[in-house]
Amino acid sequence: MGEIVRYKRDVWGEEVILGVSWDLLWVVAVAVLVLLAAHAIIMAALANKKMDKPSSEGRRVLRHETIDRLFHWVMAASILTLIATGIAPILGLRIAWLNIHWIAGLLLTFVVVFHIIRSLFWQDFKSMILGPKDFGEPFDSAQKPGKYTFEQKGMHWAVTVVVLAVIATGILLFLQIDTPFWDRTNSMAEDTLGLMFLLHGLSTLALVALAATHIYFALRPEKLFYTRSMVSGWISEDEMTANHDTSLWSPKEAD
Amino acid sequence: MPATSHDVMPDIELYQPTDEANALELANTLGDDGWIVGGGQDTYGWLKDRNKSPAAMIEIAQIDAWKGVKETADGIEIGAVTTLTDIANHPLVQSKFGLLATAASKVASPQIRNVGTLGGNLNQDARCWYYRRGLDCYRAGGNICYADSPEGLNREHAIFGASRCVAVSPSDTAPALVALDATMVVASVSGERLIPAQDFFVGPDRDIVNMTVLNEGEILTAVRLPNEWANAEYYFEKVADRNVWDFALVNVAAAIKVSGGSITDARIVCGAVECTPRRLEAVENAIRGQQRSEQLADQVAAMSTEGARPLNYNHFKVPLMENLVKRAIRG
Repeated sequence: MGEIVRYKRDVWGEEVILGVSWDLLWVVAVAVLVLLAAHAIIMAALANKKMDKPSSEGRRVLRHETIDRLFHWVMAASILTLIATGIAPILGLRIAWLNIHWIAGLLLTFVVVFHIIRSLFWQDFKSMILGPKDFGEPFDSAQKPGKYTFEQKGMHWAVTVVVLAVIATGILLFLQIDTPFWDRTNSMAEDTLGLMFLLHGLSTLALVALAATHIYFALRPEKLFYTRSMVSGWISEDEMTANHDTSLWSPKEAD
Repeated sequence: MPATSHDVMPDIELYQPTDEANALELANTLGDDGWIVGGGQDTYGWLKDRNKSPAAMIEIAQIDAWKGVKETADGIEIGAVTTLTDIANHPLVQSKFGLLATAASKVASPQIRNVGTLGGNLNQDARCWYYRRGLDCYRAGGNICYADSPEGLNREHAIFGASRCVAVSPSDTAPALVALDATMVVASVSGERLIPAQDFFVGPDRDIVNMTVLNEGEILTAVRLPNEWANAEYYFEKVADRNVWDFALVNVAAAIKVSGGSITDARIVCGAVECTPRRLEAVENAIRGQQRSEQLADQVAAMSTEGARPLNYNHFKVPLMENLVKRAIRG
């Protein structure tokens, strides 16, 4: 592995930041694959010690409202589009990626703003707060979570930080290109521009790792009922009582 | 800082294959480290300035199979290392595809045309001086376009299709070949592929580093001109700051089929206004079926610049392009 940050000479001959080294993309890809493969192997080895899978039959309770599921999938689509279009030129693919990239970025920004407002005023924001007590949850099989598990809260806040970083730096870079809303000015100082590209690149790498991890866990057999709930909205009462503390989370019945 | 030596060639491996297979094998083996050289008129500036540093050069000018003009069942085929002088003076090109002969005769200077090749003229890199100076602009892998900055000097740059980079296609023969609906023959060790001239050139929105769709290990070996546009009514005009040894500010190449004074079909292409030769399909559609006349030219010329987005110093290209299109249509 060579470098993390790439540098260049600006028009005055001074060394300035150019951006992140895209060699790191391969490092991230390999590291994530190795870690997830190791997790899959360990889980397979421990499979016999696991409890019986709770039934999906019976009474259903509502886990995600339709509007929240819609938000999730729009956000997922826009993030995957952003990753694909951002990585395409790095891989040498010749596609007109930039317009698709900023449109997906704009969509992501809108849905994230929508989500922040909704979560603060219309959702149970406290259910997502990660407190000191939550950190004992992975080590205590008797401790069950409320609506969200420790891992889900951790993933949510990691994605929050990274997505906000991608959006903040993306908006500043967005101002440098032509759009239907404004003409490019190309006026940002080279060192500032380089710093924005570096932060955008680093947060992109983190997002690639988080997206891969999230997709992996969404497809794990023991977590599939959560994925189903993100499609259909419900989990069974049996799944709820097996995985959650009903004194901390008492959802209404699903339609 | 970028080097400005302009003195001697750097230490570099030189391969001079004399047959196709050897050249393609070398291109495949060396990949990005092997710089393909035809007449060298684009190459030597890069290398002497030390702004490109390939490990090796593969000079293909000695490959006879890629030289000369020959008649085919459907037109003519021109080898990619045929010199521009040979193309401009070739009787077959002059008699059937005078548009290309004229375009080739307008490239640079007689000395350059004597060694410069068709392939080199088509594959040459962007002539933006910020890029050529060795600055780390977008095209050079950086993240800024100096020509498009508030203080940038961009008189020669694009008025269409800018996507971060505003460099233009510098070739005089490229618009002529697009107008003649030519096909590029591209070879590699994996075989041969045929690419319409219009699709051969690539803009910065799709690839900000390369100006053609050639992949690593591929070589442009020939250009085929179909008889469909042979002996049409042609018009080529290049406007530059000097009559010789200069790149176009705008050029226009038109192939127009006329029957009984009426335009039955047309292909009109402008160079030096975008990173790729810009085909004016709206104008072509507007004049098809119309009587060729001064009045028609006046009516449609403005269509050629719809969507133009001039930079600080090249607003003049808009009326210039319109006037060249007008002259091409009225003939």
